Amino acid sequence: MAISSFFGLQTSLRGLLAQQRAMDTTGHNIANSATVGYSRQEALMAAAPALTIPAGALQSGSGAHLGAGVEIQDYRRVRDQFLDLQLRAQSMRLGYESTRSEQLQRAELALAEPGDNGIAKQVENFWNAWSDVANTPNDPAARESLIELSKTLAGAFSTVDDQLAMVGTQAAAEYDAIAGPGGEIHTIATELASLNSTIKTFVSAGESPNDLMDRRDLLLDRLSSFGQVSTVDAGSGSLQVLFGDAAEPLVDDITTNWPQTLTAPGGKLGGLREVSGPGGTIESYRAQLSSVARTLADTVNAVHSGTGGGDFFGYTPGSEGGTLTVLRDAATVRTSASGAAGANDAALAMTALRGGAADTAYRGFVGRIGVEVRETIRLEANAQALHSSVEDRRQSVSGVALDEEMTNLVRFQRAYQASSRAMSTMDEMLDVLINRTGRVGL
Amino acid sequence: MRITNGMVQRRVLADLNEVSARLTATQTKIASGKELDRPSDDPFAVGRSLALRESVGGIRQHQRNVTDGRGWQDAAEQALTHITDSVQRANELLIRGASDTSDATSREAIAAEIDQLIAGIKDSVNTSYAGQYVFSGTAVDKPPYTRDSDSYQGDEGVVAREVGPGVALGVNQVGSQFLGNGQAAGDDKLLHVLRDIADHLRAGDGETLRGSDIGRLKRSMEDVIDVRAVNGARSNRLEAAASRLSELEQSTLDQISDTEDVDIVKALIDFNSQQAGYQAALRAGANIVQTSLMDFLR
Repeated sequence: MAISSFFGLQTSLRGLLAQQRAMDTTGHNIANSATVGYSRQEALMAAAPALTIPAGALQSGSGAHLGAGVEIQDYRRVRDQFLDLQLRAQSMRLGYESTRSEQLQRAELALAEPGDNGIAKQVENFWNAWSDVANTPNDPAARESLIELSKTLAGAFSTVDDQLAMVGTQAAAEYDAIAGPGGEIHTIATELASLNSTIKTFVSAGESPNDLMDRRDLLLDRLSSFGQVSTVDAGSGSLQVLFGDAAEPLVDDITTNWPQTLTAPGGKLGGLREVSGPGGTIESYRAQLSSVARTLADTVNAVHSGTGGGDFFGYTPGSEGGTLTVLRDAATVRTSASGAAGANDAALAMTALRGGAADTAYRGFVGRIGVEVRETIRLEANAQALHSSVEDRRQSVSGVALDEEMTNLVRFQRAYQASSRAMSTMDEMLDVLINRTGRVGL
Repeated sequence: MRITNGMVQRRVLADLNEVSARLTATQTKIASGKELDRPSDDPFAVGRSLALRESVGGIRQHQRNVTDGRGWQDAAEQALTHITDSVQRANELLIRGASDTSDATSREAIAAEIDQLIAGIKDSVNTSYAGQYVFSGTAVDKPPYTRDSDSYQGDEGVVAREVGPGVALGVNQVGSQFLGNGQAAGDDKLLHVLRDIADHLRAGDGETLRGSDIGRLKRSMEDVIDVRAVNGARSNRLEAAASRLSELEQSTLDQISDTEDVDIVKALIDFNSQQAGYQAALRAGANIVQTSLMDFLR
């Protein structure tokens, strides 16, 4: 069987086209080198189906395969699904830890300790005011000042309590904004469902919509910082997405299912819930602050009512921190049981409370918050380091390396140039055959 | 491992962030002079610092209390000095009046002077400090004696000042202890004795004046001296408490400084080495980020 004279031209053409596509892909990579979530692509080249020459083509009498150049097999997205899973797990942890650390640091700021505006300073002033009253029990100025400082102290408790409560409410509001209808989760779910639908169309047609799949993976990465994410391959390129501990899948093929009830979603939502929820961190801080306020009020009241003058501080049981009030005024403060103008035994008993149960309880409270905040900061740094290391590994696989792309560009350009040289050589050969052959003697 | 541009940039950025965060922290420390800014910086040290600040607050209050207590002692001491002088004068008058050479007129004159001395003694004992009568017990709003009566107006209460944690020191003297309460039999304190002496002078009872009156006045005098001695001893205790408190204040302030304050030399050295590190990281980062194969391809 004769082989077409123009066969070589076709081989060169295939080479030119394939190298050009490879260069296009390289250009795409370079253009997207800074795109978040982009995975580098490569044009997979494979030898084109060879020309089969029937038996008798070779000297031995057997047939042969004549190479026919190159063809693009696929445009592949370079990505390791296993690293995606690892990254999403770390991203969930980081979301959780950084939220907790941020919220607890705000709670810590509410204390304003150590400093002159914290409760500790006000308690100190309160004891000092009692001491001044003990020195001059019949001096209205000293009594007035005691009442004012007591009110300031009660106010300091209620300010700290309010600030703590506000950290809790704001965290709850943030949770609602993210998880509520129209929130970030909802938006992501909607986009995921529509990507599922588009990707499915292409995959059914046997195509691989790399850039859409990148976009979908990026959305899943973002979703995982809010809570636990897992995916199930629903076939033909569609993904079923499970979120947190929601009963139904968040995205099932092309339908979304949100809002749903979460109890322990993990991630940022989990962190916010744990801080603001019932029995959460803020609630326990407020309870401890209340217990400090109760200790103070009860010890002071015990001494003051011992004089027959009734309670000094009033509070609502269960929310002592926010409801501490001063029940006495300058006229009804008692410095002793006898009521003599200069008698100060009760006032002295009051100043003897300095550094006692209330102060110790408050120091314990500050210490607890300090230790917990320090711990969350450490955990956040830890999660950040782990997240970075997985992200690095993923970047190492999927990221665009410009030096590599430049090298590829040179490689493909050279192959292109050589292919076109092969073509022009072929052309010159055919020129000799067509235009010069049989012209002897003309 | 493939190293991509994204990785290099992220790492350079993360390193720079870390170094500059450390630098900022050191700079804040130097500027504020404080090692502790929030409880989480060092929960244990913050707890310690709260306790120490609390005790400095207490110490300073105790110092004020001591000053107040000493005010009471000084006021009492002044009054007692004056009373002692009056008693000595009364003693001289008694000796002169007891002699048989004194006639009724001069005895009347001496009795009148003793009446004046009694009024003076009552004025002295009615002394007050910061609006509080110091010899009235806890009834500080009432003078111990009125001009018209020798009966004691105050009570027997103790006025105390807290001079240390749980340490209260009585600072008052009850006037009736040495001046007595009227002329009731068995009282035999200074006012009673002086009144009796004046009466005996007017009655011309030289024998009693020479006899028991001299002894009674001497015992009354001893009462006053006893009270002065107690007062002096208390002044010494307050003095001792004051110097102990000021030593304690100094040592507690030193401890607070140890706990809270930045070791400025160490902080400055840290700052310089961190700054050098930051600059090195910037330079290295700039070189790595800028270099590319494109610089070398023709």
